[in-house]
Amino acid sequence: MNLFCLGLNHETAPLEVREKFSIPMEHLGQRSYQLTTLDGVREAVVISTCNRMEVYVAAEDDKLSDAESSVKKNLGFEVNDTAHFYNCRSVEAMKHLCRVVSGLDSMVLGETEIFGQVKKAYQYALEATATGGVLNKVFQKSFGVGKKVRTETTIQNGQTSVGSVALDLAEKIFSDLKDSTVMVIGAGEMSRITVQSMVLRGVKKVYVTNRSHDKAVALANEVGGEAVRFNDWSKVLATVDVVISSTGSTEPVVRASDIEAVRKKRKYRPLFMIDIAVPRDIEHGVGEIEEVYLYDLDTLQKQVDEGHARRKAQVRECEKIIDAEVLKIANQQNNHV
Amino acid sequence: MSTMTLTLVIAAILAGLAGILGVRSIVTERKRTRWTILLMLVSFGLQLIWLGKRGEMRASCPLLDSGEILVFLAWSISLFYLIVGSAYRITLLGMFSAPLVMVMLLIAKIPGMLDDNPVKQTNVDYWGEMHSAISVLSYGALALGAVSAVMFLVLDRLLKTRDTSSGLFKKMPPLDTIVGSVVRLTIIGLSFLSIGLACGFMMRIHGGPHFLVAIVVWLAYLLLLGIWFVRGMTPKKMSVFVVVLFFASLSVFVVL
Repeated sequence: MNLFCLGLNHETAPLEVREKFSIPMEHLGQRSYQLTTLDGVREAVVISTCNRMEVYVAAEDDKLSDAESSVKKNLGFEVNDTAHFYNCRSVEAMKHLCRVVSGLDSMVLGETEIFGQVKKAYQYALEATATGGVLNKVFQKSFGVGKKVRTETTIQNGQTSVGSVALDLAEKIFSDLKDSTVMVIGAGEMSRITVQSMVLRGVKKVYVTNRSHDKAVALANEVGGEAVRFNDWSKVLATVDVVISSTGSTEPVVRASDIEAVRKKRKYRPLFMIDIAVPRDIEHGVGEIEEVYLYDLDTLQKQVDEGHARRKAQVRECEKIIDAEVLKIANQQNNHV
Repeated sequence: MSTMTLTLVIAAILAGLAGILGVRSIVTERKRTRWTILLMLVSFGLQLIWLGKRGEMRASCPLLDSGEILVFLAWSISLFYLIVGSAYRITLLGMFSAPLVMVMLLIAKIPGMLDDNPVKQTNVDYWGEMHSAISVLSYGALALGAVSAVMFLVLDRLLKTRDTSSGLFKKMPPLDTIVGSVVRLTIIGLSFLSIGLACGFMMRIHGGPHFLVAIVVWLAYLLLLGIWFVRGMTPKKMSVFVVVLFFASLSVFVVL
């Protein structure tokens, strides 16, 4: 029995090709089972996420090429698609799966979501009786390798987006955001993304203010917050813990005097201010106020870059673990896979 | 080396190891180790054994020379660390307090700090015993509050200078958790200090500069907490005051 993997991802295929081969999560089990009915195919697992579609197949040694052809045909593979697909066999296929599970093959290096997605895809295939002795072992071993990579390296350390860096900082200041109130100044896309990640962490209340009040109302409705007229934002400043500012203004929107005016009312509680506007919305002097922690886009972006660099630096360590583990598994199976 | 000395030295080494483990977990950026708490627990136990033996020698609370006060204070810091550090998940507090405990225990062993032949007390004033023990216990809480305050000042500095990629920053508990522990420990310290002071007034002989300084210290802490809760204060100022006040309050031992 041998193993092969056929797939495409964000690096090999553009969005329209990925869309063409995408399979909804709820159909993964059924599609895996369908593949096992093809000529030469004994076991199959189909993985489909927004960035990849992969098929892992176990087939008899002498029917490997037939199995591959029938799988391609079943997937709707055309000649034009050849360039977008990668193909690996045996130990290489296993190594690839371990890389995928460990997040080394992901768009955001080291991300953890893929682990759960692959696990789910395998679970669907298992329930659909599309797996057997070979793929069960290969997938279960790969999950073990994925866990080992994450615990023995720092591949998932360091944030990789401005929103997640801001969120981490907010949690470093306020620990539990469930007790925190957030004010968003400017209802643009960046503000929306950043506040949404905070809403997911369960912030107590969100105020949204914007020059165009309608936009503020729209964003407030989207995140379950309350819209505040642009002239009135300083009135709620005393009650907030986090300020996210991203307006198109060419002049500072928040001045040190605005903060000074509410310090006593705030009882000098810490205030985290995120300025993701260019040009900046928050006057530089605001960051000099003792209890204010001011971060602008450049500072946040620098941390994102550092996060990427830290993860990249860990890749070699991860590869070493994967190589050693796959070799161990291959030896155990006496080259049956 | 006598058993007593060995007990104290091992307790100091274990506290030192706990501090080293804390630093190591920061440098290597690995997950926090529970060994810090375990080592501190064993060190705490050894300090307790030492104090028990010394108490037997004295036939009173072992707070009659500088060495005994230091060991009692180290024990008190260890006690509050074990309560606060594990309860509020501020295990990093161990990295800051363990070296302090180690230094205190080692200083206690410097010749001249401990009476080599402690005299057995015959005329014990139990209110005096209570006053000394509870007051030193309060200093343990206040010392740990000062350690937490230093932690706050370090984290505040890292946040202000945007130095957020270091291992130390990542291992630090959130800012509001540290502020919470500074305030809680100061309240606990002040409560014990109040009881200690009350016991002092029940002593057969009281008054003098020691009591005057103790009252001033008590009033200063009361005023600090009063401002914090009523008027409000920046957490940085609160932390600075807690550290300064703790060192200033040590003068109470100078005028014993």
